[in-house]
Amino acid sequence: MAATRAKKIPISERFGKATAVFLLLAGTVVFGLPLYIMLTMAFKSPHEIAVSSPWALPEHWKFSNFTDVLSNPNVSFFLFFKNTLIIAVMASLGATITSAMVAYAFARMNFRGRDRLFIVLLSTMMLPGIVTMIPAYVLFKYLHWINTIYPLWVPAWFGGGAFNVFLLRQFFMGIPREFDEAAILDGATHARIFWSLIIPNSKPALATVAVFAFIYNWRDFLDQLIFLNSPNKQTLEVGLSTYNTLNSSQWNLLMAAAVLVMIPVFIIFLAGQRYFVKGIVMTGGK
Amino acid sequence: MNKSKEACISLVKRFAKWFLPLFLLTLACLSQADITLRFTSWDGDVSLRVLRKLCDQFEAQNPGVKIDLEQIPDYNVYHQKMIVEYAANAAPDVAMMDPGHFQFLAERGALMPLNQFFSQIPGFNIKDYYPRIVAAHTLKGQLYVLPRDIAPEGLIYYNKAEFKAAGIPYPDGSWTWDFHERPWLKSKDFLWVMHKLTLFNKNGSVKQYGYTPSGDQLLLNALAYGCGLRYTDNPQYPTKVLPNINGWIKVGDLLHDIEQNKHWAPSQLDVSSNFQSAAYQLFVRGQTAMYQDGIWQVPQIRRDMPPGSKDFFDWDIAPFPRYVGAPVMRGPTGGSGYAMFSTCKHKRMAWKFMTFMAGPVGMRAMAEAGIAQPAIRKVALSHAWIPGPNTPYAQLWPHNRIITDQEVANVVFDPTSPYWQDASSYLNAELTTFFNGIISAKTAFTVGRQQSQDRLDYLRHQANLPRFPWAAGILVGLALVAGLCFFVYWPERGKKYTTRQKSENRSAYKFLTLWIIGLVGLTLGPMVLSLLMSVTSWDMITPARWRGVGNFQEAFTADPRFWVSLKVTFIYTAVRVPLSLVFSFVLAMLLNVKVRGIPLYRAAFYIPSLASGVASSLIWMRIFSPNNGLLNSFLYSKWINGTLHIGDWLSNLVGTPHTPVNWIGSEQTALSAFIIMSLWGVGGSTIILLAGLQGVPDMYYEAATVDGASPFKKMKAITLPMITPALFFTLITGFIAAFQNFTDVYVVTSGGGGPNNATMLYMLNLYNMAFANHRFGYAAALGWMLFAIILIVTLIQFQTSKWVYYEADVKK
Repeated sequence: MAATRAKKIPISERFGKATAVFLLLAGTVVFGLPLYIMLTMAFKSPHEIAVSSPWALPEHWKFSNFTDVLSNPNVSFFLFFKNTLIIAVMASLGATITSAMVAYAFARMNFRGRDRLFIVLLSTMMLPGIVTMIPAYVLFKYLHWINTIYPLWVPAWFGGGAFNVFLLRQFFMGIPREFDEAAILDGATHARIFWSLIIPNSKPALATVAVFAFIYNWRDFLDQLIFLNSPNKQTLEVGLSTYNTLNSSQWNLLMAAAVLVMIPVFIIFLAGQRYFVKGIVMTGGK
Repeated sequence: MNKSKEACISLVKRFAKWFLPLFLLTLACLSQADITLRFTSWDGDVSLRVLRKLCDQFEAQNPGVKIDLEQIPDYNVYHQKMIVEYAANAAPDVAMMDPGHFQFLAERGALMPLNQFFSQIPGFNIKDYYPRIVAAHTLKGQLYVLPRDIAPEGLIYYNKAEFKAAGIPYPDGSWTWDFHERPWLKSKDFLWVMHKLTLFNKNGSVKQYGYTPSGDQLLLNALAYGCGLRYTDNPQYPTKVLPNINGWIKVGDLLHDIEQNKHWAPSQLDVSSNFQSAAYQLFVRGQTAMYQDGIWQVPQIRRDMPPGSKDFFDWDIAPFPRYVGAPVMRGPTGGSGYAMFSTCKHKRMAWKFMTFMAGPVGMRAMAEAGIAQPAIRKVALSHAWIPGPNTPYAQLWPHNRIITDQEVANVVFDPTSPYWQDASSYLNAELTTFFNGIISAKTAFTVGRQQSQDRLDYLRHQANLPRFPWAAGILVGLALVAGLCFFVYWPERGKKYTTRQKSENRSAYKFLTLWIIGLVGLTLGPMVLSLLMSVTSWDMITPARWRGVGNFQEAFTADPRFWVSLKVTFIYTAVRVPLSLVFSFVLAMLLNVKVRGIPLYRAAFYIPSLASGVASSLIWMRIFSPNNGLLNSFLYSKWINGTLHIGDWLSNLVGTPHTPVNWIGSEQTALSAFIIMSLWGVGGSTIILLAGLQGVPDMYYEAATVDGASPFKKMKAITLPMITPALFFTLITGFIAAFQNFTDVYVVTSGGGGPNNATMLYMLNLYNMAFANHRFGYAAALGWMLFAIILIVTLIQFQTSKWVYYEADVKK
């Protein structure tokens, strides 16, 4: 079968693939521009940044920008790294697990007020966060959560946010109904269907949610800045901004730090990718 | 007996010798260790190193006192956080503050008046501080901020080589300016010097500017303040905007002549179109002979051009010239200091700490690092600030630092009234258009003054409102929650359920438990509170006052920016959402092709979404800057513009033929630039669509291939329907994200939404209302109106979502 197919449409498919590769390469160049700017600035001296063109590669590759960033006592990189990692991991775990549960109910079960509750769910992301910031701050203060990392990850464990629930609900609704109907006839509970049918069949979507939540929390700035006070509780994104303040910017260090901060999320993304690629294993039809 | 007695005595002795002092020491420690002072600063890396050392030093001198230095390295968020913390009764003890921000807090009792503490520290004398900066931090005779530094902005950095080349003696400060050039005075006339130092290329373009201010408004202020003009009749309690408008127009005309006709100085737009976005860079690259900015640029120049490096040139500073008709030179200035929040529990110790940090010791340390000009004159005149015999070679520049002392005597601060931020934003929008050469000074000042005056009058004459009735408010809040339950469950009443359905209902709610707890416990409360706030006038500090529908009325009738921002946001959303949808769909299709190295391509497309937000503004500047930016370098390159003429076409389109498009600077393209920026961020929705595509079972395609379906048919019959759920999701969330977008615009336009409100997104207006103008009730009303808009748009999409195909729905 495979042999016949390769024979059958070699020209059009090859042409299509060549076009795709060309477009992919062109897109990579365009989408790589921000990274290119970050990298070249991260290796330049302040003087070279001031006088050279953004296209130019560094004349002298200044690796000391990176060692400076890693050894700066004001922005203890490894401590901030640990803090950020804890927040991002906890929030990502919570968001994935609990949003999957909520999404399952909305996608595959019938219950009282489902559609209107779903509107309520969605509406929680329609109000700008700025407007609820002070009441939320007061609430967290009442819980003694100010200057702790709790406000940054605990809420993720209560439903995981409307965005994630909605995303997973869309994917869960794409799974054919026969799956669970057969299981229900066999006497399986919903917990069981959720755990052994839906979850294994939604790995790409779950990986997407997990990676997105991780990255979102890794890059978050405002909440971390508002809720954390002590220097030893700070996070990477807040630490980064120390290099870019009113009337005193150290672009070279900022970019070096930004590159370092990006590496872990890049790795997470590559790791998560394995699952995006796999696709949903459809066993139903075979 | 004796022995045991001796033993006993020795034991007591030993106890007395070792344990008692230890015990007393512990007691002493316990009683003093209670004092922990929270101290916040917006300083960045360089200053923080000094601050941290100073805190350690203070702790060593005062055993038992602990200083928690909290860094909030974002000037705008800093002030936002101070207000939020104070509102929640969690303010720090000592906080960095400046003239532009202290009055709002001081007027509302959030800051301690400091005069009562003056006598507590022996040797402290407020007269040691420069009187101008003390006055700028004083309200109704009470000092609220102990000044740390002062930074005159009527300061000119000059390139000695370029003066030498033109044969002009270095400025010694005795020069003056008038409204016209006076060639007979030669180097004593500012305009003549500016003129002579401007060099043109053969084609008429400028090769080297005579003068470059770090912003148009800085030059305007230096000229206007110099001849006695002021923005308001009273900087703290203004009633009139531009009391002497004719004087302002005259200064404006001069500025227009210098920048737009003579080209002795570039406008800000020129700087960003022809160079790399900052006036500072023109100076370092030797493209301007003089450059006006605050003293804070010194450390950066030293870093960027260390003496001895190959690009180093000799430079120095000179004072801005005096207006010929004025007795002294008056120039704009900045400055900052430390304030004590009124919630501070250890006021005496806090004061001791403040006088240490903003006293001779702290100032000397900051001055030696070259960071800040001391606010105490004696320290400013010492070798810590003015170079002396022991000053290291690298810190010798600028030599003429003594002028910073002379300048301080007559500096002028911008108005500090909390109303000014809001009122002046209207004038400033007109001024930007004027600076860009589009309207005349007369139009800008006349129109701008009228709008700002109207706004100021509106803000000053707000009716005396009654207190917000909290008891009734809470009842209404509970009623709202009840109404929500009613909305969800009322239509369900009387529906008959089978046993199976009942059990499904029960297990469904088990799945929802966590979400419902979170909704009730964490989300709903703040939401309802903000809804209640929308009918109040609330500055976050003083008790909220009942305003009824006043906020909504104001939005519709009295806030000119409301309609503009609504329009801008609708255009932005209407263009961005479909564009990014198509874009991410095409990308997802491409990434779904089975070619080699796909994981790397996927990563490449997602990388812009990973880049840190803090670094992004600089990245965008480097991409969109008109002459050197990557985007224009590409669009106007020979092989793109030469063959496709895209660059020329764009230039003609925005009405500036033959010059590269200034994406962010010009009114016609600014919003497009932000839409293009958002396209770099489609990586997220691409991944979601890709996950959808990956979910399409191969067997469907195989079956279609066997049936001989064309690729187009396959796309239409299989791919599209199968990913409609993901598309639908992207659409809904895309709308929400576009409506709520503001961070990129905020960062790149510094919150202004310029040029001329072209990028004034709804959320930007909301943010400014909340945290720049402290009108939280009004911001809440704006927020809830946006909520309503988004809700309607979302519901319409759900109502018309028949096109979405759910596999699970097929067989019912």
